[in-house]
Amino acid sequence: MRRKFHMRQLTQDAVPTTSLADMMFLLLIFFIMTTTLARTTGFITDVPMGTKGAQQSSEKSPSVVLHDGKITVGEDQDMTMPQLRNYIAGLHLDRKKGDAKVVMISAEGVVPYQTYYETLAMVQNASGVVALVSDEVEKK
Amino acid sequence: MIRRPKHEMPIIPTANLVDIAILLIIFYMACSNFLSVTGKLTPPKAPDLYKIEEPLITVSVDQEGAIMLQGHAAANAAEVEAVLSELLKDKTAEDSKKRMVMFKCDATVNRQVYQPVLDAIVHAGGLILAVGDNREK
Repeated sequence: MRRKFHMRQLTQDAVPTTSLADMMFLLLIFFIMTTTLARTTGFITDVPMGTKGAQQSSEKSPSVVLHDGKITVGEDQDMTMPQLRNYIAGLHLDRKKGDAKVVMISAEGVVPYQTYYETLAMVQNASGVVALVSDEVEKK
Repeated sequence: MIRRPKHEMPIIPTANLVDIAILLIIFYMACSNFLSVTGKLTPPKAPDLYKIEEPLITVSVDQEGAIMLQGHAAANAAEVEAVLSELLKDKTAEDSKKRMVMFKCDATVNRQVYQPVLDAIVHAGGLILAVGDNREK
């Protein structure tokens, strides 16, 4: 009886699936090796643009100038990164509304993106609004 | 003469192994995110960054200063602005999610390279989603 059943099985036109597992495991290994289950971290900022002329006219907004490894707040107050953090925390931007939340950030000379990014993140985390100040751009 | 009992080799059922493998492949295919950035890029670090959902539009600047828009090389910031303006033209101010532009930039790149690109994103009406790595305080 058993033999008879076996014979019947062999005569059927079955798709050979014995090597399917091997193929699946090859694909699996490929995906395991190439997948990066990375979490994207960062911050979202809706940046209002300003020019240097506009910056000069708005006296109320605190300004941070990044230039050649230095951080200057206001007119001529040089700070380190931790000092800037304390300064921004001291502004209590989370309690302010509208334009009072704006912090003008401008960069001059050699400023690596790391410094710029850290400053932007700092203002953003303090519930401030970052305004990037760029050189005057002539729009045609 | 002692009769030894016959030891039959145990059989591990492997018929369902394929199904499990297929399920795992589907999982990895669904979770995979092939990198569109071609150049070398070390993101900047800052504390208190939060998890963000990746938007559809990506602009990146690698350590050589090469600008990439949606995985394709862009000649300069003006080209980025032109293409982004086209991509974002139908997006209203209320569609903040659709206006998001992911900005990836190498930490060592100088301001002459990244600032015009940031300006271009803002001028095109994009919301900057600045990507970085979380760092402890």
